[in-house]
Amino acid sequence: MDEIRSSMDNMMAQFNDSVTHSAPKKLLFNRLSTSYTDDFIASPKKRRLDSSDNNLNSTGSLNSSLNSSLGPWQNSQLRADIIELKARNSQLQHEVERQIKEHRRAMAVAESKSTALKQQCDITSKKMIEMERNVQIMRKREVALKEEACSARAELAQLKMKFDDSIDSLQKEKSQQEEDARDVQLCINNDLAEYRRMAHRADLELQATRTELERFRRRHDEFKARVSGHEDLRSDFEKQSQSLKAANERIKELEYEIQSYNDWKEVTKASQERLASVPDLQSEIERLRHHNKHLNTLIGDKLLLEEKVHDYKTRLDREEGARAEAVSLQVKLSHVEQELKEWVKVAQDHCLPNTLVSPMALRSRIEQLLQEDIVHVAEKTTSESDTKHLQATVRELEQKCSVYLKNIEDLNIGLKRHKNFKERLQRKLITVSKERDFYKQMVENFDKDLTMSNTSMADMTLDMQVRYRMEVLERTVTGYKDMCATLEREIQAMRQQEQLAEPSGEGYDSVKKELDTLRLENDRLRRRKEEMELELMHRCLRGDFNMKEFKVVHLSENPAAEAYESSKNVMEKLQAEIERLKRRNKKLEDDQEQRLNETTSTGGMTMNFKEFNQLRAELESANGKMRKMKECFKAATTEFRDVCYMLLGYRIDRIGANSNYRISSMYAESPEDYLDITLNESNCLALLESPYSRTLKPAIDQQLAASNSFPAFFSALTLELFQRATVTIT
Amino acid sequence: MSTAQATKNCITLKGSAQIIVEYLKYGINSILFQRGIYPAEDFDNTQHYGLTILMSKDPKITTFLQNVLSQTEEWLSKNMINKISMVITNAHTKEVLECWDFKMQAELGDGDTSDPSKLTSTKELSRIQNEIRDVMRQISATVSYLPLLDCICTFDVMIHTLQNTELPAKWDETGAIVIQNAQAVQLRSFSTGLHKVDTVVNYKMST
Repeated sequence: MDEIRSSMDNMMAQFNDSVTHSAPKKLLFNRLSTSYTDDFIASPKKRRLDSSDNNLNSTGSLNSSLNSSLGPWQNSQLRADIIELKARNSQLQHEVERQIKEHRRAMAVAESKSTALKQQCDITSKKMIEMERNVQIMRKREVALKEEACSARAELAQLKMKFDDSIDSLQKEKSQQEEDARDVQLCINNDLAEYRRMAHRADLELQATRTELERFRRRHDEFKARVSGHEDLRSDFEKQSQSLKAANERIKELEYEIQSYNDWKEVTKASQERLASVPDLQSEIERLRHHNKHLNTLIGDKLLLEEKVHDYKTRLDREEGARAEAVSLQVKLSHVEQELKEWVKVAQDHCLPNTLVSPMALRSRIEQLLQEDIVHVAEKTTSESDTKHLQATVRELEQKCSVYLKNIEDLNIGLKRHKNFKERLQRKLITVSKERDFYKQMVENFDKDLTMSNTSMADMTLDMQVRYRMEVLERTVTGYKDMCATLEREIQAMRQQEQLAEPSGEGYDSVKKELDTLRLENDRLRRRKEEMELELMHRCLRGDFNMKEFKVVHLSENPAAEAYESSKNVMEKLQAEIERLKRRNKKLEDDQEQRLNETTSTGGMTMNFKEFNQLRAELESANGKMRKMKECFKAATTEFRDVCYMLLGYRIDRIGANSNYRISSMYAESPEDYLDITLNESNCLALLESPYSRTLKPAIDQQLAASNSFPAFFSALTLELFQRATVTIT
Repeated sequence: MSTAQATKNCITLKGSAQIIVEYLKYGINSILFQRGIYPAEDFDNTQHYGLTILMSKDPKITTFLQNVLSQTEEWLSKNMINKISMVITNAHTKEVLECWDFKMQAELGDGDTSDPSKLTSTKELSRIQNEIRDVMRQISATVSYLPLLDCICTFDVMIHTLQNTELPAKWDETGAIVIQNAQAVQLRSFSTGLHKVDTVVNYKMST
């Protein structure tokens, strides 16, 4: 800058010099060029300045031309140069200022940087201090850690020592244990050797026992052979002993025979003796026969008695049954009498006081009451039906009444509407009349005006006036007519409206129907409402309305749940039991079938209880049948015997268990007169000896011995006896 | 002295709940006996409310009632119960035969009503007990018209609580019970001043 300034000064001095010369001469540029050469290296910017200098010089020349009164063109050129230079000067100055400002800014930035660096330096120094402190602390820690390490080393050494000791001791122990183990091994080896020896011995023994066993086997075989020999011997022995027994038996039999022979001898002796005593025996036989007869009669009596006793017993049983029945009947009778008394009391209560108490009276009374009751019921039903009918009519009338009331109301409403309409019409009429009055007045006014104009405006032409007025009046009249027409239209509209508003007959009917349906609906709804109220009351009582607000909770371990569970269990158990029993039942049925088969096959060893009962019943029925048959048979036999007796004249009685028959005739003189006949094995009849037969010896000899005909003999006897009886009678 | 007197005759919500739970205990036992749900030899005589009441001595029933009623007392003292139902069912078919409803209505009492958890009533205990005695007598008298329970029956106690009630352990939510062809009879009610208890018996009409 300074250089620029100095060059400028130089230039100015030169210029001034040139001016001072004031002689018009050629411009010298050498100086300038020298200065230029000096300045040329300083800055390349100067080149431009160079031209400016030229210009400047030219301006200078211009000035000088001014001064030296140069041409006007040159002057103006110089001036422009000056101006340009000035502008450049100011530009440069601006640049200088800008550079100064930049410099200042750079300075400020540098300063701010320096302050920032200072601060950083402070911070770093602080950090440094801190780090130093940290380092110190670390050093302290290091020292402490070193100490710790020393102590740890010492401890380690100690532990090492300890472990060495323990290792030593363990090694010692190990060696000891090894020794022990060796000892033990030795012991085991010894034992093993011993055991081996023992085993060897045991083997030897085993071999010995085997050989012995072999020996025993052989022995056993020998013994077996011996045993078989012995068994043979035994069987021989048994055979011999059996034969011995048989022989003994034979001997015994023979002895018995000998004895029996002896007995026979004795018997023959005794029989001989007996034969000697035959007559005694015969008398004895007679006696015994008598005795026998007597016993037989006794037995017959006894049988009779037994029958009678049985009869009496049955009668007694029947009697006892009858007696018990009688007692029960008596009890019933007393009960019935009591009842009768009660009935009589009831009858007395219910019958008239002075009439005789009897069931008939009671019945009549009851009938009377029933009839009254029926009458009452009938009356009641009729009255009820009447009341129902009346209620129905009342309801109907009420309905009609309500319908009429509704109609009246409707008509009233119509009337009111009409009245309103009338009022409106009247009001309209009043307004219309008022309007009319007003228009009349207006017309009068116009008339007045006309007259007034006639008087005042005489100068106006009458024709004009009249026309004007006519026009006005016509306009008013048309307006008036329009209004009238609108009013008439309005009236017509109103009338139409009225007609529409008036209910037509058809409409009325439909409305009535609608009303009826609505009324029915109303009734229905009322009933429903009552029902709902009842329901509501009920629910109110139960208290379960708006249940949604509440929830129902219960303890899960309640008795109900328990009971359900237990009942379920019981059910399951019972079902299982049923299943079990069913299975068992089936099994039993199968078994029973099997057993039934068994019983039938084994001939009824075990009998079914039911079958047993059935058989017992059958037995009883069979017994009864048999008894009946016996009775029948007895009756038939007695009848048969009687008939035989009456027809043939002989009673034939069977005596004793043997087929002995006693025959007594109808015409016999005494009951002692009878004949005994027996039927022997060969189905032949034989006459036995009896006291009566002895008396008939000739007849027997004659007929029986000769013709061997019992019927002939008996008929002859009958004839004889009959003749004898008739002879005695006659 | 006056304060002592005042506190003596006061019934709080807790006290009211205690009175009602006592009534429920005796009432349920009485119903169990009167309706013959358990055999008569399982019951013991006790004197209460001036009446002889038969109480079950079956340990299962007593523990069940103890558990239920302690919980009921807790809920009642917070006014969370609408009603308590004792349901008698057929043990085999689970059919509901009878339902005894004890309906609870909260009342404000006659003390300070500003704090709903500290309501009080000055109704005398002897009066309340007299009212309860009348209800108990009616319970005994119901046997004359209730249908005969001729099957093995069992019972359960269901509590109708508010929806937001938290259920303790061992408590379940169950559905509302329904009696087919039911008939309801309302017995007398009693009040502690803080709770009004209506006793209603619903029973199945015998066909």
